[in-house]
Amino acid sequence: MTLLSVANLTKSYGGLVANNDISFKVEKGQILSVIGPNGAGKSTLFKLIAGFVKPTAGKVVFQDEDITGLAPHVIAERGVVRTFQETTIFKEMSALHNVVIAHHLRCHATALGIFFGSRRAREDEHRFRESAADILQFLGLGKVMQERAGSLPHGHLRALGIAMGLATNPTVLLLDEPFAGMNPEETDTAVEMVRKIVQRGVTVVLVEHDMRAVMRLSDRIVVISFGSKIAEGKPDEIQRNEKVIEAYLGREDDELGL
Amino acid sequence: MNQMLVNGIVLGTIYALIALGLTLIFSIMRVVNFAHGQMYMLGGFIVYYGTVVYGLNYFVALLLAIVLVAAIGALFEIFLFRRVLRIAKREENSMLLAVGTALLLENLALVAFGEKQRGVPPVVEGVFEIGDAYLPASRLLVMGMAALMIVGLLLFVQYTRPGRALRAIAQDKEVTYLQGVNINRMSVLGFALGAALAGAAGGLLVTVFAVNAGMGTAVSVKAFLMVMIGGAGVTAGAILGAFALGFAEAIGYEIFPGSLTYLIIFVAIIVFLAIRPQGIMGRTS
Amino acid sequence: MSRKRTTAAILVGLLVVFLVVIPVALRDAPYMINVLINSAMLSVIGAGVWVTFAIGRINISQGAFAMIGGYVTAILSTRYGVSFWLCLPLAGLIAAAIGVLVGLPILRLRGVYFSMISLSLTEAIRLAFLNGGQFTHGASGIVNVPRPDALTLFGVTLIPAFDGASPLPYYYLAIALLILTLLTLWRISTSRLGWTFRSMRMNEELAASVGVNVAKYRVIAFGICCFIGGVGGAFFAAFHQNIYPATYTVSDSMSFMVFCFLGGLDYIAGPVVGAFLLTISFEVLQPLQQYQPLIYAMLMIGFMLWLPNGILSLTSWGSEAVNRAPETPLASATSPAAPGTPSAAPKGEA
Repeated sequence: MTLLSVANLTKSYGGLVANNDISFKVEKGQILSVIGPNGAGKSTLFKLIAGFVKPTAGKVVFQDEDITGLAPHVIAERGVVRTFQETTIFKEMSALHNVVIAHHLRCHATALGIFFGSRRAREDEHRFRESAADILQFLGLGKVMQERAGSLPHGHLRALGIAMGLATNPTVLLLDEPFAGMNPEETDTAVEMVRKIVQRGVTVVLVEHDMRAVMRLSDRIVVISFGSKIAEGKPDEIQRNEKVIEAYLGREDDELGL
Repeated sequence: MNQMLVNGIVLGTIYALIALGLTLIFSIMRVVNFAHGQMYMLGGFIVYYGTVVYGLNYFVALLLAIVLVAAIGALFEIFLFRRVLRIAKREENSMLLAVGTALLLENLALVAFGEKQRGVPPVVEGVFEIGDAYLPASRLLVMGMAALMIVGLLLFVQYTRPGRALRAIAQDKEVTYLQGVNINRMSVLGFALGAALAGAAGGLLVTVFAVNAGMGTAVSVKAFLMVMIGGAGVTAGAILGAFALGFAEAIGYEIFPGSLTYLIIFVAIIVFLAIRPQGIMGRTS
Repeated sequence: MSRKRTTAAILVGLLVVFLVVIPVALRDAPYMINVLINSAMLSVIGAGVWVTFAIGRINISQGAFAMIGGYVTAILSTRYGVSFWLCLPLAGLIAAAIGVLVGLPILRLRGVYFSMISLSLTEAIRLAFLNGGQFTHGASGIVNVPRPDALTLFGVTLIPAFDGASPLPYYYLAIALLILTLLTLWRISTSRLGWTFRSMRMNEELAASVGVNVAKYRVIAFGICCFIGGVGGAFFAAFHQNIYPATYTVSDSMSFMVFCFLGGLDYIAGPVVGAFLLTISFEVLQPLQQYQPLIYAMLMIGFMLWLPNGILSLTSWGSEAVNRAPETPLASATSPAAPGTPSAAPKGEA
């Protein structure tokens, strides 16, 4: 069942075209990865889907509803949640508190109730703390719950960002370079983590550079180069696809100065 | 109708000096020089004391004003802003420091110069007639000198080494630093230059309008408006904003009574910024 | 636990001093009482600005809303005989309404851009009242604003009319408003609303991605700020018994911002400490006459150079707040203490 579909999505900044007429579908329970050489426009694609940037043209449809151009918090409410590439967390708070805050969407108390500390508000707080501790344990961060988020090591920060995404109870989770800067061991742990998330019922779309992880993890892959989609298919198909090889190799040639 | 045009052009040119100075400091140091209006005021007072009290030649006094105000800018950067920008955890700290410097200059001026309005007689006599508009020769001179300074500044940042370094810093401080540019020295230059422009504007306009020690805030507010209209941190934007405000004032004062003009200008600007927060030429973040 | 006791002790001590000791000790020094009244109400208005700092905006427009509150009170009481006790909340509500209206578009701006436009707002409002024609009396302002009348409910006089013989009634009202305002700030800060604000201040995009309606909460914070400003303005109108377009200038808007800074942006008591310190030291420096504002300016610069986190950062609360990520009041109940951190004690302030 198609959960999320992107149709003819285009974003241009003046003369620069970041995303050009991109279309693909995401099936429920799938792991779809978006890959491409540096500067291909992958992050822009995520920003477009999650509502942080308005498209110049094209549509984003989620569960048969057009969510194109809605405000980010509304899209998050609908169930499409994005994690960030860099500044993923609230540095000054504890890891636990970061995830508690991310439960914002699940609150039952009214604004006034929150202000006066009504019973519902306190129940909410309680629920959130338990849920947050739960999620952190699930992702292997149980031991560092109380640490100041800003002082956590890199790998944990990524996991924390994902924990916050999970706190919103998403239907589709957009992970923006979750394996960036990780060594092979850390990557393995992270790959397992993503698999566990999908088992929990969340559909995952990834943007990534780490080819090994992507090949191991994905059900389908979409390849973007210079803003346009150049290939789509299963991992082994993509690995053999000539256009894909050229896009990556061509880049390397540039870097070598040939 | 012509008179408004003439007034607008004169005002716009001199306002451009003020706006450019503010933009320069902002683009180099990411600090809004709240004391900009006070520096303008000091420029005017130095020229007043130079010409009226000590009998110097106007141009000598103007040069003196520019140099002294530039020195103040340099001192502010070296002893105040550099330290605060280094140790501040929140960006608000540098803004508050800027507010403090504005208060400092204003109150020093009040103590030193008193509260009286001071003016400097026109530099040259005579009036030109352009169509059905009158343009006093002194205003033409003042506008001409402002235009010369603006051109000089633009040439400076375009073709000289330090000028290009300043532009590079405005674009990307990190990269410029990595290329070996002495950021500290350039910051001093930038601040001093920005201040000099404000002082120059004050020294020029004191021959047209009077100055008093308390006028700094009003001038600063105008400078902010110009930079916001045109787009913060963009040179062309500063000039555009200056002319926009200059013309708005010229037209407004002809049509509306007194302070109503600025009320309309403010409302118009707030509405404009609500629609286009980055100004005419600013970049969206 | 003992730190909580210390805080409580200090609070009780302050209450006793302000509610009992001072009125008795300064019985024959109305001038000093007036200074305290000014300090207290300036703290209140400054506390409003604190709320906008909480969402990461440097708000230099509070003077405008104090002005609106003042004029609302002046016009309603002089022209329509409305009771002061009705004017007070109305002034706040109208100021908040205007704040919400203007805030919707301008709160999208951040950093210096927002600050500069908020500064323009103060000037714009001043000019609006100056050019208000018959309605606002232009430059002459509105004078003979009546002192607060008696507040009676069902024939019972809850608050007697202010007779003007002594400033004490105004003093008690000011302290009451200050306490109310601080309670409001404390409640905001420790509730989830405060955490939502904090998350927005740290990273607006991230907050949006977890479902926070950033635009809505910005306006809520600004609305609260303007309400408080309006209430403060209403008080001053009835205290000085007049209001002019010149009553609140850009400098005043800046002062309110400075109070928060001076006391420390991380502390609810910040604006109070800042306002009291500056107002009282201003008075103390009176004999220095013309050098007074100059010293004030030098103090400000000195603070930025050497105490950038505000005065309260010097206290023990200060170093803790900087080193430890604060938790909500339920922290002690449910979370296990991590190794190395002191067992979570609920904190009463941000």
